[in-house]
Amino acid sequence: MRRAAGGLLLLLVLLLSGCGGDTEVAAHNDTDVMFLQMALEQIGEGEQVAAVAEKSAVNPEIRTLAAELRGQWQVESARMRDWLAAWKQPVTAPSASELHAGHGALHALQDGDIAGLRAAKGTDFDRIAVALLLGNLHNTMETLRMEATGGAYPEVKNLAQSMSTTRQGQIQRLLALAAG
Amino acid sequence: MKRRFTLPALTVAAVTGSMFVAVSPASAHGYISSPPSRQANCASGAVSGCGDIVYEPQSVEQPKGSTQCNGGGSRFTVLNDNSKNWPAASVGSSVTFNWVITARHRTSTWEYFIGNRLVASFNDNGAQPGATKTHTVNFSGYSGRQTVLARWNVADTVNAFYSCVDVNFGGATNPTPTTPGPTPTTPAPTTPAPTTPTPPPATTNPGSTTWAAGTAYKAGDRVTYAGRSYQCRQAHTAISGWEPPYVAALWTAV
Repeated sequence: MRRAAGGLLLLLVLLLSGCGGDTEVAAHNDTDVMFLQMALEQIGEGEQVAAVAEKSAVNPEIRTLAAELRGQWQVESARMRDWLAAWKQPVTAPSASELHAGHGALHALQDGDIAGLRAAKGTDFDRIAVALLLGNLHNTMETLRMEATGGAYPEVKNLAQSMSTTRQGQIQRLLALAAG
Repeated sequence: MKRRFTLPALTVAAVTGSMFVAVSPASAHGYISSPPSRQANCASGAVSGCGDIVYEPQSVEQPKGSTQCNGGGSRFTVLNDNSKNWPAASVGSSVTFNWVITARHRTSTWEYFIGNRLVASFNDNGAQPGATKTHTVNFSGYSGRQTVLARWNVADTVNAFYSCVDVNFGGATNPTPTTPGPTPTTPAPTTPAPTTPTPPPATTNPGSTTWAAGTAYKAGDRVTYAGRSYQCRQAHTAISGWEPPYVAALWTAV
């Protein structure tokens, strides 16, 4: 009996310490949620372009950049989904939300864009791929800067900050490719 | 990976509070990327000291009718500064302009000016542009260094998007490089220069190295970060923000 009680006490202590070990509380706000939803949407669109560009671009620099973006997006979007799941928020932004209206174009790609890209050949393909990637990344930069100024959750803001740095470097490479 | 608990009450308060966050009007939509416009040269790092335009070269939106590179108004006045050393692309008399478009506004016209003279106008009759937009303009009769002002006149708003492109017709007397050689004042980083907030302490663990942004890791690689050891779960090139403790998809603590 004493043994059982002791075991129960131990279990209780373990449970309590398990829960109480991390009492840190960080609040997120609506901008964090909006940022994550929009960023996932923009990554999804960028992925469509980059997947085709990685395969078919003539210039190897475009293929490299597309592959690099896809790798980074994969990791970034996994973290974004984790946060939304933890906050019990949908992964997809409400399409008609007025909150989203001012921040970047959610649906920058239109029907036929990817088909048009696939149909293009040679330097035409490269020119269109670079323009589409630039358009996507410019919209992303707007969303990232929105989070940097209006977000609340430190880890999400940190991610937005580091993504801004990375994306700006990639925009510079794309602009050099566009000019060349 | 550290888990943080979010109190529902706090969440509700935060969500309710931020419903009233002012939403700035959309202001991003397009610019000329080739030959590089002034805002493209700012964003690419070819020209330094440009201010916020580097993050949004697509945002030079102002009421129609201006002949200024920033479209008038108080934003992005750096674009009007002719004393800045804007690179001028060497071109022939026929120039092809490529636009980057981030939002597809219904369009009335695309206009190209030198000085106050309209050189070419393309009427889209209210159609939406495609994924990209390209115009070829004939500048016969012009020579030497010139600034081309392009205006994208939106059909369903009072606004236009402005892009100034510095060109050198003939190219012979142009002191700036013909190929897009960015001026060396601000080197455009080809790899993102990461800022590591807390440099991990150097350790002497055998068989592992200190995690570093920019390094290509493959599955199974071992690193140390902030005194702890991690094993790579999938191949990737590390960037700032992907430090092992934060990205469970990439690193397992060992």
